[in-house]
Amino acid sequence: MLAYHIRLGLKSLRRNPVLTALMIGAIAIGIAVCLTALNVFTLVSSNPLAHRNDVVYAVQMDNWDPKEPWWDDHPELAPFELTYRDAKAVLASDIPDRTVIMRKTAMIMAPPDGVTAETAKPFVSVVRMTPPDFFPMFDVPFKYGGPWDDKAEAAADAVIVLSKENNEKFFGGEDSVGRMVKLDDREYRVVGVLDDYYPVPKFFDVNNGALDDPEDGYVPFERGQMFELQSAGNTNCWKPESLNSFRDFLNSECVWIQAWVELRTPAKVAEFKAFLDGYVTEQKKFGRFERPLKTKLSKVSEWLEMNEVVEDDNRVLLGIACMFLAVCLLNTVGLLLAKFSGAAAVVSLHRALGASRAMIFRQHIVEVALIGVTGGVIGIGLGWLLLLALRQLYNSYEAVTHLDWSVGLIALALSLVAGVLAGLYPTWRICRLQPAPYLKTQ
Amino acid sequence: MELRPILSAMLRNKTGAILVALQIAITLAVVTNAVFIINQRLEKIGRPSGMDTDNILFIQSYGFAAAYNHNVTVQEDLELIRKTPGVIAASTINGIPLSGGGSSTSYKVDAQESTADVSGNYYEIDEQGLDALGVKLVAGRGFSHEILRYDTGQPTSEMVPEVVMTRDMAKALFGTDEGAVGKRVYDNLGQSATIVGIVDRMLGAWVDWDKLTQVVFHPVVSGPPLARYIVRVEPGQRDALMKELETKLGESNRTRVISWVRTHDYYIERSYKADTRMAVLLGVTIFMLISMTALGIVGLASFSVNARVKQIGTRRAVGARRLDILRYFMLENWVLTTAGVLVGCGLAYYFSYWLSSAYEVPKLGIGYVIGGVFCMWVLGQLAVLVPARRAASVPPAVATRTV
Repeated sequence: MLAYHIRLGLKSLRRNPVLTALMIGAIAIGIAVCLTALNVFTLVSSNPLAHRNDVVYAVQMDNWDPKEPWWDDHPELAPFELTYRDAKAVLASDIPDRTVIMRKTAMIMAPPDGVTAETAKPFVSVVRMTPPDFFPMFDVPFKYGGPWDDKAEAAADAVIVLSKENNEKFFGGEDSVGRMVKLDDREYRVVGVLDDYYPVPKFFDVNNGALDDPEDGYVPFERGQMFELQSAGNTNCWKPESLNSFRDFLNSECVWIQAWVELRTPAKVAEFKAFLDGYVTEQKKFGRFERPLKTKLSKVSEWLEMNEVVEDDNRVLLGIACMFLAVCLLNTVGLLLAKFSGAAAVVSLHRALGASRAMIFRQHIVEVALIGVTGGVIGIGLGWLLLLALRQLYNSYEAVTHLDWSVGLIALALSLVAGVLAGLYPTWRICRLQPAPYLKTQ
Repeated sequence: MELRPILSAMLRNKTGAILVALQIAITLAVVTNAVFIINQRLEKIGRPSGMDTDNILFIQSYGFAAAYNHNVTVQEDLELIRKTPGVIAASTINGIPLSGGGSSTSYKVDAQESTADVSGNYYEIDEQGLDALGVKLVAGRGFSHEILRYDTGQPTSEMVPEVVMTRDMAKALFGTDEGAVGKRVYDNLGQSATIVGIVDRMLGAWVDWDKLTQVVFHPVVSGPPLARYIVRVEPGQRDALMKELETKLGESNRTRVISWVRTHDYYIERSYKADTRMAVLLGVTIFMLISMTALGIVGLASFSVNARVKQIGTRRAVGARRLDILRYFMLENWVLTTAGVLVGCGLAYYFSYWLSSAYEVPKLGIGYVIGGVFCMWVLGQLAVLVPARRAASVPPAVATRTV
C-alpha cells in the first residue's frame, strides 16, 4: 500500500514540477541554513571531555585586587588562572588523583641534525609545559609511545611529546620515539607522539582562545622555569610590586598558570575544596588574598559556561536560522495549500469512487513526506557546501566547520518532521472537502 | 474604494492571507535587526586606525643559538632595513597593534595610592616608531635615540623617563588633551614619566576592548629572544619589499630565524574576522529570507489568481479595465503587507529587546524599522506584479465558459 501511495505521490508531484521544485527548494534551503548554524553551534558548545565531566575540575582562587574584582562584569568570579606559587601549592597536595598545572611558551623547534626533509625547517613553536598527568586526565590519544614518567617530571628532563603534525613534518610520520628534536638549540628526546587531537573548544585553556589550535609539543612543567622562559599565554597582574627578575615574577601576584585536578569521589571533591579554603586562609595571614575567601572547583561543562565560550553571535545566528526555517515552512504550507486545492477535483473523484478519508489523508501525507525528505537530503548537501564556504570566515576553521554527522541526522529528521508539519493542515483541509460540488461542475 | 471587497475576499480565504502576513512579519523583524547588527559591525571594522596600515609590515626574528647577541642583531637589522630603498621608517616594537595580542598597564595622574587607575595599551618603540606607525603627532615631540632603554629579557618594573600618548589617553587621564605635554604620569609604584608628545589617534591591540584608543608609547627596545620590527614603506612597495627583506634578513644572521614577515592587513583581517563573519552571514541570510518571502508572495498570489480566473473574467465582462484588475491585486497585496508589517514592527522590537537584554547590543533605532516597512511594501508590490499582470490579461470571454 505504501508503494502505491509513493507512486501516486510521485505522479502528483510531477504534475506541477515548478511548484514541487519550489517546495523542495524552500525546505532544502531552510534545512541547509539551520544545519549550518546548528553544526557550528553544537561544535562550539560541545564538551570534548563530556565522558570525564564528573571527575575533572578547574581550580580557581581569588587572589585579586582588594579594590576591584577580577572581571568587572562578573564580580562574583575569581581569576581564571593561578599564580605560580599557588599553582605549586595545588600540585603539592596529594588529595587529587591527578593534578595538572600548565602554561604555554614559544620556542624554536628544529629537527635533529641530519634530518633535511623539505618540511623539517626550524620554526617558532608553541609548547605546553605540564606534568605528565595532562595526557591521561584529558584522555589525550597517543600514536606512538606515551607520557614521560614522574621521575622525568621531577627532574624536569629534556623530554617531549610531539603533536602528530610535527612528527609528520620532522620524521615523515614514522615512530620517532627515542629520537631527538631541538628546542631553542637544546636537544629533547621524543617519548611520545600524539594521534589526532583537536578538542573544540580547547576546554583546558579557553582563556587563551577557545578555538586555538593545539600546541606543537608538550614538555615537563619545570623546564620553563629552569630556562626562565616567558609565558606565551595570558598573563594578568594587579598588584603594584617591583618585578625586576624572573624570580620576582614567579613570586608575584600575577596569574598565568592553568590548574586542573582529577577528583574521583564526591568525598575527595569536598576534601580538596576544604584544602583550598585552608590554604587561602593560611595565606591570608601573610597579607595575601585580601578579597573575601573564594575558591572554586568547576566541572568542564561549568568551566566552559563560565568562560562564555559560546559567543553571543552564535546564539543570534542560530535564532535567525530557525526564523528562516520557519519562513521556509510557512512558504511550503502556502504552496501545499495551493497545490492541494488545485487537486480538489481529483480527490473528489477518488472519494466518489470509494476512497476513505483516511486513505486520502495517508496519500497526501506520503506526498508531503516525500517533499520533506527530498528537501532534507538536498538541504544536507547544501549545508555541507555552506560549511565549506564558512571556512573562509574562520581563522582556525578545520575544527569548527567539519560536518558533525549527528547534526546531519538531526537535520534529516527535522526536515521530515517539518515537511509533515507543514503538510498537516493542507492535508486536513483536503480531507474535509465535500466531493459533491467538484463533481457537479465536471 | 475597493477595500471592502478585498477585505471580504480575504476573509473567505483566511489561511493563505495569514501565511503571507506572517512571513512578512518575521522577515521584517529579522531583517531590521540583522541590518542593524551588520551596520554596527561595519562601523566597527571601518573605524580609522590612526596608522598607515596599508603600507606597514611586521617582521619577527627569534634568536635561538648560543652565539645570539640581541642588541647587536637589532642594531644591524634596523640598519639593513632602513637603508633598503623604499623604506620610510623602521622601528622595534613589542606588539602588533590590532592583532589581538599586546600589553596594557595602568597609569595615574599622581603618586597617591587612592587615585584612580587609567588603563592604556602600551607599545615599546624606538626613535622611528611613531613615523613607522604613521601616526600623526599633534603636540610635542617623539623620542630621541639617546633616551632608549635596552631591556635584557628579564622582567623590569622600571618606569621610562618619557612617554608619548594618544589624545584619548590624555583625555582619560586629565579630562582634556589640551596642555598634556609636559605633565607627568605615574605607574602604580609611584614612578613617573614626562609626557613629551601627543598623537592624534591610534588603535591598540584588542578590537573588542572599550579602551582601544588609549595608547601609550614607551622608548624601549624589548629584550631577547624575540625582536619584532615595524616597517613603513612607500605606497605600492609593500609586497615586493616583504620578500626582499625576508631574504636579506634571513641571510644576514644565522643565530636567529625570521619567524615571519607579515602585512598589517593580515592581523587586522584576523582580528575583525568574527565581525566580518557575522556581517557576511547575516547579509546572506537576509538575502535568502527576502527571496523566500518574495517567492511566497508570488506563489500565493498566483494561486489566488488561478482560483479567481472566472471571477476576473466576469469583472472584465461587466466593464472593469485591465488596470482595475491590476490595481485590485496590488491593493490586496498592500493590505496584506501592511497587516504583516504591523505585526512585524512589534516582533522587531521584541527581538531587539531580547537581544539587548540577553547580549550587550544597543536598542534598535526607529529609522531601521521605518526603512524596513518601506522595503516590505516595495518588495510586496514587486512580487505581486507578475501574477497581477497575468490576472489583468484574463480575457472577458472566460466569463462565458463553464470551466
